[in-house]
Amino acid sequence: MMRVLKSREMLVLGLLVAMILAVATVNKAVLYPITLINIVNSSIFLVLLAIGQMFVVLTRGIDVSVGAIAGIAAVIFGFALNDGVPLPLAMLAAMLTGLVAGAVNGAGVVFVGIPPIIMTLSTLGIYRGLMRVLTGGSWIEEVPQSIKALAVTRVASVPLMVWAVAALILVTAFLLWRIKASRFFYAVGDNREGAYLLGLNVNATEFAAYALSGLFAGMAAIVFVGQIGFVPMQTGQGQELKAIAAVVLGGVSLMGGTGSIWSAVIGALFLTAVDSMMIFLHVPGSWNNAVAGAVLLAVVVSDYLIRRAVRNRQLARRAAEVLGAEAEPATGREVAS
Amino acid sequence: MTLPGWSKSWEAMLAAALVAELAILGMISPAFLNVENLLFSTSDFAHVIIAAVGLTLVIITAGIDISGVSVMGLASIVMGLAFVAGAPIGLAVVVALATGVAAGAFNGVVVSRTDVNPLVITLATLFLFSGIATGLPTLLDLLGFKAYGAGGFEAYQYEGITGLPKSFTWLGTGSLGWVPVPLIVTIAVALVAGLLLARTRFGRFLYFIGVSAEVARFSGVPVRRTLIGVYAFNGLCAAIAGLVLTAYFTSARSDLGSEALLNIITAVVLGGTSIQGGSGSVLGTFLAGLVLGYLRQGLLALGITSDVVPVIVGALLMGSVALKIGSAALARNRANRAATESGRRAVAATAHPD
Amino acid sequence: MAGHPHKGNPNAAPLVALRDVWKVFEGVPVLRGIDFEVRTGEVHALLGGNGSGKSTLVKILSGAYPPTEGHVEIGGRPEVLPRPSEAHRQGVYMVPQEPHIFPSLTVLENLTMGLAGGRARAEEARRIAREIGLAVRFDAPGGELSIANQQLVEIIRGLLRKARVLILDEPTSSLTRREVDALAAEMRALTARGIGILFISHRLDEVLELATRVSVLRDGHFVLSTPADGLTADQLVEAMLPADYTPATPGAAAVLPSGDPVLEVRGLTGRAFRDVNFRVLPGEVVGIAGVVGSGRTELAEAIFGIDPDVTGEVRICGRDAPARAPRSCQAMGLSYVPEDRHAHGIFLTLPSAQTITAGLLALGRRQFLRRGAEDGLSGRFIDKLRIKLTSAQQVARTLSGGNQQKVVLAKTLAPEPRAVILDEPTRGIDARARQDVYRIIRELTAQGVGVVVISSEMGEVAEISDRVLVMRRGRMSALRAGRSSVEEISAATFAHVCGTPA
Repeated sequence: MMRVLKSREMLVLGLLVAMILAVATVNKAVLYPITLINIVNSSIFLVLLAIGQMFVVLTRGIDVSVGAIAGIAAVIFGFALNDGVPLPLAMLAAMLTGLVAGAVNGAGVVFVGIPPIIMTLSTLGIYRGLMRVLTGGSWIEEVPQSIKALAVTRVASVPLMVWAVAALILVTAFLLWRIKASRFFYAVGDNREGAYLLGLNVNATEFAAYALSGLFAGMAAIVFVGQIGFVPMQTGQGQELKAIAAVVLGGVSLMGGTGSIWSAVIGALFLTAVDSMMIFLHVPGSWNNAVAGAVLLAVVVSDYLIRRAVRNRQLARRAAEVLGAEAEPATGREVAS
Repeated sequence: MTLPGWSKSWEAMLAAALVAELAILGMISPAFLNVENLLFSTSDFAHVIIAAVGLTLVIITAGIDISGVSVMGLASIVMGLAFVAGAPIGLAVVVALATGVAAGAFNGVVVSRTDVNPLVITLATLFLFSGIATGLPTLLDLLGFKAYGAGGFEAYQYEGITGLPKSFTWLGTGSLGWVPVPLIVTIAVALVAGLLLARTRFGRFLYFIGVSAEVARFSGVPVRRTLIGVYAFNGLCAAIAGLVLTAYFTSARSDLGSEALLNIITAVVLGGTSIQGGSGSVLGTFLAGLVLGYLRQGLLALGITSDVVPVIVGALLMGSVALKIGSAALARNRANRAATESGRRAVAATAHPD
Repeated sequence: MAGHPHKGNPNAAPLVALRDVWKVFEGVPVLRGIDFEVRTGEVHALLGGNGSGKSTLVKILSGAYPPTEGHVEIGGRPEVLPRPSEAHRQGVYMVPQEPHIFPSLTVLENLTMGLAGGRARAEEARRIAREIGLAVRFDAPGGELSIANQQLVEIIRGLLRKARVLILDEPTSSLTRREVDALAAEMRALTARGIGILFISHRLDEVLELATRVSVLRDGHFVLSTPADGLTADQLVEAMLPADYTPATPGAAAVLPSGDPVLEVRGLTGRAFRDVNFRVLPGEVVGIAGVVGSGRTELAEAIFGIDPDVTGEVRICGRDAPARAPRSCQAMGLSYVPEDRHAHGIFLTLPSAQTITAGLLALGRRQFLRRGAEDGLSGRFIDKLRIKLTSAQQVARTLSGGNQQKVVLAKTLAPEPRAVILDEPTRGIDARARQDVYRIIRELTAQGVGVVVISSEMGEVAEISDRVLVMRRGRMSALRAGRSSVEEISAATFAHVCGTPA
């Protein structure tokens, strides 16, 4: 598990720490534990969306519907709570909603063959529209205290919700490490044809990725409702792009096959932290997006430059091996010009 | 089998769908079929078609540019800020268009110089451009520029810049005879793009790159220059869309158009352009844009909540692509079966010569 | 070289066999009544030129394609192999030419990918890896494996699946000599365990060294299938020659080329080749013979400016071309027909006429298309090169391989180049189209165009070249002036085993 921490995840984590320390030279308040806890607390929604997104991107797909799935799952969650469904059952309903919505994406991509961006863009519209139709376009308010308590109750000054998400991440990471089939996501994304020839079930792997993406969006919805205590129509809006940005920033390549759950976690933390840092630097919040975009662009472009340099060196070394091994003089005459 | 036949038939289907849609909406609500209403309701969605036309050219190269929606807001706020900083309105418009071209060209440079997926690049610049658009007013204050009125530029950050001259808002609200100006601008942009695509070498290169950038390179096509050009053109289209929308709302805002992404991409794909590149047409995008736009208008006219519109748009997008995949698979199966049959006969003939 | 310690037992039932297998693609028979066996303990070499049906045969054996007619037999029983995993279950495993390595997974994960079973399976993988001699850290990422070790990983994958038949598809094409020797030792060890190996290679020396049995495919059927004992390279070369091959008269060129060179290469060095010198005169055909992996395609791409990362000098029509790009080369009078038609030559999903006019269009200055001129140009070339299509607008993908190649030739010749490099110009096309390509080459030289033909088919090089150069492992050498025979070319190309050079 540590091996995957070596590369891009560490780079971005380093950047994150460096950024926080740099800001600390201007404003020490950024290093107060409560500040850091708050950053983490406000990142967990995006973290969950990003983890789901990671499965899809690993298989060389993309899911732009995660924000909308979170929205519709939040609505189902809110309805269930307000109808007096016990909290655990309501949570289950939210997750199931996400799972089904993700499975629909998977079915369209895998079994019909619709390109991922088209399929999930379609369901982005459909789920967001359904969300409005279900609620009649109005917010769901006054969700019960039981769920809000999760967000407000603190254990060792950290909200219960953060503990829960942290546990979830560790359990997921452990499962991904233990369950061998989790490597299929990498294999399929890296070399679909090769994975098929090796006998892997490529279709099931891709389908599972979309379903998992939906499931995590459903869990993100629970976090969202717990944290703000109602379900606005904007739930999850624009978050799909942030989730993609987070996983790419953390080192999951859109060409598939590379990255890890830590990519998603660190990428999402970074994007959230950028927003907070701006506040501590007294930079108007209007610049948040510009900074996030510039960081993402800089990271993917420098990643490209590094990859290119490494590949060139490998090719040159390989060519030297092949040429050098054949040092004997060639037969026949050299052609003089 | 020839290509033009197929693509023409898709456009014909769209035209038929448009007529059928208008007929059905007209039957339910005769008021909707009023010519003036039909013409003027295009102003609500002209910006979507303009942006979609530019994006069509990019998607034909097997690329994508989702940052266009941010360029719309960026062009809008740049125009407004230039105006309140004292520039003549004409100059302000030119500066805004140049900003759009520059933003697009920036995308093009990064796309053509790296192997990073254009979706990631333009996702980054989607944030970058929208951040610049929202941050620009405070930056100008910081740099000591002076604006009319109190509060400096920052005052314009959230409520937008109003008080734009009539000569500009005419772009969004005026008309020439019966035809509203946004529709004229849309048709003009579509004509230019259509001409570029079908009648120029540049347009042919776009298809070449979309089918195979490698084959294009081996054939001597200047791939990088062409890509920078097409992303710049898309930036220009997005800027025009942003300005038309600004004029229509008579207010320059940095967040203009940010909701339009789904509609823009849907118009392109529903218009028959393949997301994998190498095929597509401006006429298709234009027709699909009308189909989508009138759908929204019509449902509103029927008193149906606009909430279901994205559901229908999403279903149309998914359905149209599924339909194409299905019909292509059928055609391929039929061709393969025929070939196998004649192959068997040929094999039998060689195996048992008479 | 070394003897053949493990010959197949002719009396045992074959491990895997094809019985009267036909395969038809798009109405074109690719395999015609194949009977083929791999027996326990043998190394069965499969040879054949490009387009002879080798890869189709292998794909049927490994479950990637179903045969059109006939069937696959495993251990004497007819079997249906609907997908690769079923072939694995039946003990047949193919090691692909490009090993499927997952770079971000560990070596151990790469080894056991797709297999059930936890710790025990991992232990087994480690044990087999040790036996095979894969000496790397098992927790290192797969991306760090050398090509030779990647191949070992594939072989171990096969052994973990209890494969009794291993298919090695051109395993040596990107290996160094030392790595080839190690692989050869490995193959002998495997056959000693009773495994049957199907070995595909372009390198006759290795075939003669390793195989216990050799089969040669040509135009979809076997023209030779015999024990390797006593077989010579000349016999193999002869078997692989096209049926319509007419031997060239060595020594004399048909027309004496003269004038200033249209293409001159001096000291060109790149990643895959070193210090290459040659020149091409107007009206001559210079053949460059070389097998896959000899650096010939890399050389052509470097000359044409596809890969600018090289040192050395290139002159086109007497003018220096220091910073080259495809466009500037074409403008100076040099054109190139790439080896991989689909990846680099033709716009598959566009009307054929658009590929034909692409080169000239890219070269010109006009910004607006002229329909009439385009139709005229494509029409002229369709007639001149005898391209068979229903209309100039027919989508290129639906053309036969030969006609696709002619479309690429038309694109290349439209700018009226003075020098042309043709890389494997007859790869995967039928006999009549091949003769048409040769005719086109003769017409070009008659007009004073200098032509370079790069080919791994020795018969082709001998038949059409006025002068032959040989490319071997990145170095170029020349045969004696004038035409050369197949035997001379083969001898130089495979020099280090086949003994006497010309």
